[in-house]
Amino acid sequence: MTLGQRLIANEWSAIAVAIVIGVVGLAATSPAFLTEFNLYVMMRSFCVVLVVAFAQMLTLAVGQLNLSIGALGGLVAIAIGGMMEVLGFPIAVALPIGLAIGALGGLINGLLTVRTGINGFIITLATASAFTGINLGITESIPFYNLPSAFVAFGTARLSAFPMLLIPPVIVALLLALFLARTVPGRQLLAVGGNPHAAQLSGVHMNGIVVLAHTLSGLLAAVGAILAVAQLGSAQPTIGQDWLIMSFAAPIIGGAALTGGHVSVAATALAVVLIVLIQNGMVLAQVDPYWVQFLLGALILAAVGLNRLRAVRAGEA
Amino acid sequence: MTATETLNPDPVMTVADANEAPARRGAFLAESGNLIGLAAIVLIFWVVLTSLRPGFISNFNLFTLSRSLAIDIVIGFSTMVVLATGGMNLAIGSIGVCAVMAAGFLMQGLGLPPLVAFAAALALGAALGWLNGFAIVRSGVNSFIITLASASLYLGAMLILSKAVTFNELPAAVADFGKLRFGGFVSPLLIIALAIGAALIVLFRFTALGREILAAGANPRAAELSGVPVGRVVIIAHTLSGALAGAAGLMLVARLGAAMPSIGQDWLLPSFLAPVLGGTLLSGGAVSVIGTMLGALLVTTIRSGLLVMQVGNFWLQLFLGVILLAAVMLDRYRGKVAERRSLGRR
Repeated sequence: MTLGQRLIANEWSAIAVAIVIGVVGLAATSPAFLTEFNLYVMMRSFCVVLVVAFAQMLTLAVGQLNLSIGALGGLVAIAIGGMMEVLGFPIAVALPIGLAIGALGGLINGLLTVRTGINGFIITLATASAFTGINLGITESIPFYNLPSAFVAFGTARLSAFPMLLIPPVIVALLLALFLARTVPGRQLLAVGGNPHAAQLSGVHMNGIVVLAHTLSGLLAAVGAILAVAQLGSAQPTIGQDWLIMSFAAPIIGGAALTGGHVSVAATALAVVLIVLIQNGMVLAQVDPYWVQFLLGALILAAVGLNRLRAVRAGEA
Repeated sequence: MTATETLNPDPVMTVADANEAPARRGAFLAESGNLIGLAAIVLIFWVVLTSLRPGFISNFNLFTLSRSLAIDIVIGFSTMVVLATGGMNLAIGSIGVCAVMAAGFLMQGLGLPPLVAFAAALALGAALGWLNGFAIVRSGVNSFIITLASASLYLGAMLILSKAVTFNELPAAVADFGKLRFGGFVSPLLIIALAIGAALIVLFRFTALGREILAAGANPRAAELSGVPVGRVVIIAHTLSGALAGAAGLMLVARLGAAMPSIGQDWLLPSFLAPVLGGTLLSGGAVSVIGTMLGALLVTTIRSGLLVMQVGNFWLQLFLGVILLAAVMLDRYRGKVAERRSLGRR
């Protein structure tokens, strides 16, 4: 195998090349790109998308999907906002409850999917609507603005270009990589996605693993919601509305198969870097922000096309 | 006459004719049971809503109801024809809004007569649907991914080209058509939707193409072996879905009297609600045109009911989500009971 072929065969190499081209291109054309502030802004917008992408990646790993990530995120966002502003709960109480709500929402998704045997698409489409309904019913679309100053300050704190907000997502990424690579439930999760029948024959408790994947997905959606609230400085009921396409785009660009069993924490993270880079480039070039929507669609199509090509090549070899 | 157009998923395996007739009757009873159950739920809603708020069956409310019902039905059809092939189309809202904005531009920007503009917009919807189908068949990638990406692509292109500006100086004839009433409360839009439904029943019951679409959805391999051009059939279903999405968008233009870029963004849930409530399978091979219409009627009834009960739009999403969950779980439960009964008989 030549170096070129090896690069094509590697799932994240194409993304890495695209990122390098993007960085060099932007640095050459826009003097504002490599400024400390712009790097800070970029890394800050990286945080929420990364965790949201991981939330979807976990359901994709078992061959499921979760349309309710954004709705659940919105619900958790207003729940922690309401707890801190209206009920006066301290941060240390509100955030764990918020995480628990996320995990509970995911657990409901998982149990409904497993118990009824109905396609996860329909289940999470329905629960997404229900979560959004609860969110809008409680808030009537009015955000919570008066959050504890320590919480809001964390959202804007930085060490030169490095935002403090980036610390939780990095920890999540490391834990997730460890979970999928080194723990029994993590391996079982991938085994169930790769070949459910074989996994079951090897004694893996299938339903339990699917429920676990959904629960963790909900938990990560809650982490994303907390980060989004900290980033915005207010708990907006609209948080999560634009997560759907992002949540699928990053894992799929990162080479995840919809059939399950194949996901990569590193490739997903690189895909998020690429998406953030494109968004930032659009802003710097002062292009119509609508181009982001267009390019995201094109990027997904390009990625699945490339994956397809790779699969065909692998089949020929 | 069965209301659901199903196809024997395994045409090669023919059981003795004596066994087949009761089995078919069983399927027929289960399907009509589903439709009767759905109709009963709708009826209960109507009785309760009317007794609580007599204004629910006022001519005015029935007229607004018939207009939104028409649109919900066509949105449901748009998803239904793709579900028949075992695929899905997440780009319905985006295709709808592309057709809407194209029609708006042709009428307001170029001054074309509404009929020409609407025909061109429908053709655009069909073309975008064809593009979806072509990409799915050619790449062999799951329709979920392709249409998720193309939804973003189409919406982005529409926003770039239109700059998200509403066309609100359309020919008066468009809004006048939307305001037309027959018999006091029936919108011509509803008649169009019912006509489309009749055409779809004919397609899936009486034409080779309709049977081929169902065959491709039920078992693509078996269909391929029996000489069905599965790829072409899938592309046709997606083209039809695109045209129907465009039609739904244009009906909304007639109702609103304007072409807005925000149209279609909330279509995903109702587009699946109507066919799934009506008994169309996600796995493909079976559609119910009448069921989709009843499903759309239930959705419209709940939406209108919450409005007249002044519960407010905020809780609507919760109701729709819970009802979808309840419906699919009930359906699953009924299937299990039927299975147990047939096993017991043996």
